[in-house]
Amino acid sequence: MAAFFEAETLTKRFGGLTAVDNVSFTIERDEIVGLIGPNGSGKTTMVRCIMGILNPTSGKIRFKGQDITGWRPWKIVQAGLAGTFQVVKPFRHLPVIANVMVGCLCPRITRRGEWVKSTPVKARDALEFVGIMDRALEPASNLSHGDLKRLEVARAISTEPELLILDEPFGGLNPAETDLVAKSMARLHKGGRFGRLHSEGPAMLIIEHKLSDLMKIVDRVIVLNHGKLIAWGPPEEVVRDPAVIEAYTGKEVPIA
Amino acid sequence: MFRRLLGNFRWGVLPVPGRVIAVAFFVIIFVLPLITDDRSTLHMITLASIFTIFAVSWDVLSGYTGQVNFGHALFFGVGAYSSGLLYRFLGWDPAVTVPLGALIAALAGVVTCLPALRLRGPYLSLLTLAFPLLLAEIVRAIPPEIAGGYVGITGLPRLAATPMGRYYLCAVVMLVAVLVMWKLTDAGSKYVRTGLLFHAIREDEIAARATGINTIRYKVLAFAIGGFFGGIAGALYAHLLTVAGPGTLGIMMSFQAIIWVIFGGIVSIYGSVVGVFTLYPLVELLRGTPVHDYRFLIMASMVIVILLFMPEGIAVRIRHKIERQCPRCKLTNFALRSECRACGAALRHVADKQAT
Amino acid sequence: MIVPILIRTLTRGAVYALLASGMTLLFGVAHIVNLAHTAFFMLASFGVFYFTSTRISQVAFDGPGWPVLPSIIVTIVAVTGLGLLVYRFLLDRVRQHAQVVLLITIALAMVFQEIMDFSFEGHSRRIREPFIQGGVEILGETVSYQRLLVVGVVIAVMIGLWLLLSKTKLGIAIRATANDPEIANLMGISVSRTLLITMGIGTGLAALAGVLTAPLWVFHPHVWMQPLTMVLAIVVLGGLGSIKGSVIGAFIIALVENLVIFLIPQYGYMRMAFALLVMIVVLSVRPGGLFGTIFEEERL
Ligand SMILES: Nc1ncnc2c1ncn2[C@@H]1O[C@H](COP(=O)(O)OP(=O)(O)OP(=O)(O)O)[C@@H](O)[C@H]1O
Ligand SMILES: [Mg+2]
Repeated sequence: MAAFFEAETLTKRFGGLTAVDNVSFTIERDEIVGLIGPNGSGKTTMVRCIMGILNPTSGKIRFKGQDITGWRPWKIVQAGLAGTFQVVKPFRHLPVIANVMVGCLCPRITRRGEWVKSTPVKARDALEFVGIMDRALEPASNLSHGDLKRLEVARAISTEPELLILDEPFGGLNPAETDLVAKSMARLHKGGRFGRLHSEGPAMLIIEHKLSDLMKIVDRVIVLNHGKLIAWGPPEEVVRDPAVIEAYTGKEVPIA
Repeated sequence: MFRRLLGNFRWGVLPVPGRVIAVAFFVIIFVLPLITDDRSTLHMITLASIFTIFAVSWDVLSGYTGQVNFGHALFFGVGAYSSGLLYRFLGWDPAVTVPLGALIAALAGVVTCLPALRLRGPYLSLLTLAFPLLLAEIVRAIPPEIAGGYVGITGLPRLAATPMGRYYLCAVVMLVAVLVMWKLTDAGSKYVRTGLLFHAIREDEIAARATGINTIRYKVLAFAIGGFFGGIAGALYAHLLTVAGPGTLGIMMSFQAIIWVIFGGIVSIYGSVVGVFTLYPLVELLRGTPVHDYRFLIMASMVIVILLFMPEGIAVRIRHKIERQCPRCKLTNFALRSECRACGAALRHVADKQAT
Repeated sequence: MIVPILIRTLTRGAVYALLASGMTLLFGVAHIVNLAHTAFFMLASFGVFYFTSTRISQVAFDGPGWPVLPSIIVTIVAVTGLGLLVYRFLLDRVRQHAQVVLLITIALAMVFQEIMDFSFEGHSRRIREPFIQGGVEILGETVSYQRLLVVGVVIAVMIGLWLLLSKTKLGIAIRATANDPEIANLMGISVSRTLLITMGIGTGLAALAGVLTAPLWVFHPHVWMQPLTMVLAIVVLGGLGSIKGSVIGAFIIALVENLVIFLIPQYGYMRMAFALLVMIVVLSVRPGGLFGTIFEEERL
């Protein structure tokens, strides 16, 4: 049986620089996978290829049995794969809630025909879920960096994805906030209804360059270095992998 | 039904100065011919109505959707020329040629946006700048028996027999067109999603795509809407002046839309209306006065000075001065009130914060 | 046929290069599309005309009648000064509102046009005597010294500009600001001063172009729009912010125009259309122009 999500020999070159080099991996439907690697190891570039924002130089991406390589981003979202940006990209002049409503207006949601009534309510529930409901009516430019990160997540989950890619969701968050987001990720992964917001119980690919925040929630970890896949497996094993320790320039693996 | 309208008026319009002004504006437009029958005044307001449609259509495309178009005259000119050609060769009535001209202009919008889809920011603006100029040169190269050459297609039938008829026709079309465009771009609308999506595309196109929005479709739609209403304006203009000339494709026509909209306030329908209805009559009223020769100079200097102090546009600035949003329920209130008319939250506090 | 085409392409291209490089520099550094750029060019043409003329109008209005060189210098200094004032008191204040910059530059161009219009009674003008009389024969074609002067000055100026940008401290400041104003600011570069100087260089180049072409081309207060269109086409064609691209774009566009004029003279009045067509084709193939930097390699 084909895997739920599969990247096969994915490669992305920028001129002479190979940012992602021949990477292959799979994600199963019920997994949370961590993707770690030092700065500049090509994590963001790889997920941008997967999300259809960049065109991979070569390689195949399969999702739910379809070959989605080179699809347009909105078609990929339509198929059930959504992601967030490492450098936040809010719609700055729009109110926070309108940011999320855009996600509720994508064809994946509106094809059920109930969007007229449910859009604002659902957007509210998504904001409630990530915990920034009290800022709903302010313009997004008023939010702090941590809140913008959460807004990114709310916008992505409002499209009800089956595979959710989060690019450094904890970047710039303080430990308390990190904990909060990690918990809500775990809840989201279980699936179900949160008010109007429906969760498919998505599989997740969470990017982070420190493993410590991920340890508790991920089932499996993939490690990139210089664009190459150097290790994969359960988190406890990966942190002991010599190649990984080497990649983090011989320093102690930042687990604690 | 009537009671509900009245209720809407009492609660939705009367307490909000901006809306009172908007309603008053339309009332004045509609009773003006009853007060004066001065031909030149009526003609001026008729033209201002046409230019309003044109300016608002530029705002929809460039302000709301962020596809800053330097060549909006293309739509104006295509609307004018196609209704002119339809009359010249098929002898059709303005009632047919104007809507058809607008449709052809919408088509022109779709065609021009095909190369423009891959471009961003100034590249898009400067590419679009080229299209009307290119078309103007082509029109001049076509034998005058067909497209009128340097003079244009003359002898078009008038929109209506009397100045008052033309006035009301254009005023009504303007009102309807502006309302339609207002609804299409209303980000808070429950039933039309284009408003919110246009805003999203302007703010961040990549993010909009990654949120599942087919931005190409909506950009094409924005070009088609801009083209359609720009085309209506152009076709009305041609029939009003009974000539569709190359001036409708000129670079100044494109720039004029930009001047009006930004002066009034970009990304606001009412700003565009205010922009046209202040600047256009200003120039026209100075005609024949002792400062006749300096009227464009006066207008341009005024635009510079006002923009320097109100970069967000004159209408937007004034509205912020006379209206205030409730911090709790976001309802719009008259700025002099001290508490929100619905939820009673204090407004002063916000006013102080805004002042600092 | 080929020789006159080449000679005319060379002069026209040189003037375009001067105009376009100022425009692209200002865009690259300050992100300002200065639509009044060619209005400064027009002002400079009228400037030398005014200073060198002895009689300006039928209504017995005497011009200063200065010799050529002082007229040129005074004109360039005056126009550059005007550009600096415009930047300091107008553009600098509204720099963060891109749309307002746009509008103010259009309005400014109109102001210049109107002022010239009633100062010079709205006639087309032309300086009758070239700055240097005579010409030489090159490959069987007489080339006036005036044209050679234009080409020579432009080459010298472009080399100077290149040296300025690559070798001097000021050039480094300009390039750093173009790259990232915030970091430049952190490194102790005064960003607003750098932008002011860039505006000065830009208008200075436009003024120089206006002065040089005054004896070659007819000028009129309304003749800023057509050059503006051509310069914008060149700047986008070459890639916004790239001086190299602008210079190459200038010669491409000049060549296209002259090919149209010489090969299909009956359509000579359509040379602008052909030039714009070239721009459209290039942009359709390369969305960032020939040498433009596309900052993020995102699919469009
Ligand atoms: N658009 C681009 N053009 C050229 N090079 C790029 C581009 N985007 C990324 N790169 C390069 O690709 C490499 C990988 O970058 P990427 O952002 O994917 O790393 P990352 O693993 O996400 O790092 P971080 O942990 O800092 O987020 C880097 O060397 C970067 O400079
Ligand atoms: Mg990254």
